Amino acid sequence: MDDPMATFEFLGLTFDWTTIISTLLAMAIVVIVSVVLTRNLSVKPNKRQNVIEYLLDFTNGIVGGQLSKKQARQFGLFAFTLFFFIIVSNEMGLLLQIKLGDGVTYIKSPTANPIVTMTLAIMSLMVAHGMGVQELGFKGYIKNMFFTPYSWMLPLNIIEQLANFLTLSLRLFGNIFAGEMLLTLVANSLAWPGHFNGLWSVLSLPIEMVWQGFSLFIGAIQAYVFVILTGVFISQLSGNE
Amino acid sequence: MLGLTTLAALPLGNMLFIIIAFLLLMLILKKVAYGPLTKILDERADKISSDIDGAESARQEAEQLASQRQSELAETRQNATKVVADAKASAQKQSDSLIAAATDRAASINQQAQTDAQKLKEDAISGAKDDVAALSVAIASKLMQKELSLNDQQALIDAYISDLETK
Repeated sequence: MDDPMATFEFLGLTFDWTTIISTLLAMAIVVIVSVVLTRNLSVKPNKRQNVIEYLLDFTNGIVGGQLSKKQARQFGLFAFTLFFFIIVSNEMGLLLQIKLGDGVTYIKSPTANPIVTMTLAIMSLMVAHGMGVQELGFKGYIKNMFFTPYSWMLPLNIIEQLANFLTLSLRLFGNIFAGEMLLTLVANSLAWPGHFNGLWSVLSLPIEMVWQGFSLFIGAIQAYVFVILTGVFISQLSGNE
Repeated sequence: MLGLTTLAALPLGNMLFIIIAFLLLMLILKKVAYGPLTKILDERADKISSDIDGAESARQEAEQLASQRQSELAETRQNATKVVADAKASAQKQSDSLIAAATDRAASINQQAQTDAQKLKEDAISGAKDDVAALSVAIASKLMQKELSLNDQQALIDAYISDLETK
């Protein structure tokens, strides 16, 4: 699956078109959906407002269940954006994958790329650590992170922090990447050029549909899990286990 | 494997891009959706709690009104009973007085009638006495074939009577 990549250099940094286009597309979808759903807000909600209010209530519920009221208020916007962006990214690649003649897949789920999920995880953990420092003060934060419950647990705690980062990012990446890869495999078998073409095509369609449905489900679950784990990390780093 | 090659080839640029894009997205969402929605939700929560308070006070007011009505109704009922009782009593009194007056009147009529009758009787008796005296005289004169004048014989009669008394 080592597809070719289209990259360009800018200010000495290398950028990848696929990631940039996919991320921007996902974000554009998020923005457009938000704008459309928040037309004519009123205290008595209409149908469209109900949808986005449900989404906001959902993320606020995730956050509010784990954090103090003050922290929940601070974390609310980040959680909302994170959940919205991740769920759109996860589902985007199921509906739309664009591969041009040069063999580069320009549009797919951004979250099927480990760099994207790691970046998201880094942001989440930065938020979590920042809120930990804000809550406990720097000394209390260090003590809470490394020397709790016993100071000899320092090595374990360091490993835990690293593991947090890896599990958070790679779980999302793995789920979405595997889903898309299998989808691509099944889709490619639709256009199998061999002798079993007819049979494969007939067999592939229901398989593809089932897998797409399952991946939709997985994508939603993973977005939820990502936000909830971020909340857990904030809660842990702020000293309330 | 895609993961490792991507990781080796181009981490930093993409990461920076994603972070900046994500922060921008957060900013836009705050402007477009999160801020207004949170405001609306807070407004709604305020409105709901104030509505609940309003409903509570309205309920209390209604209860108060209802109990007031209830007491007023009871009072009115009591008044009505009293009025009826009063009317009954005054009617009773009136009828009693009417009956008493009628009884008195009847008694007085009765009395009058008795007096009248007594007088009539006495009159009749005294009339009859005179008649009897005259009749006796007439009978006696008839018997004696002589007309005795009552006045002529008065002295004789008295003499008899006194003679009888002395005997």
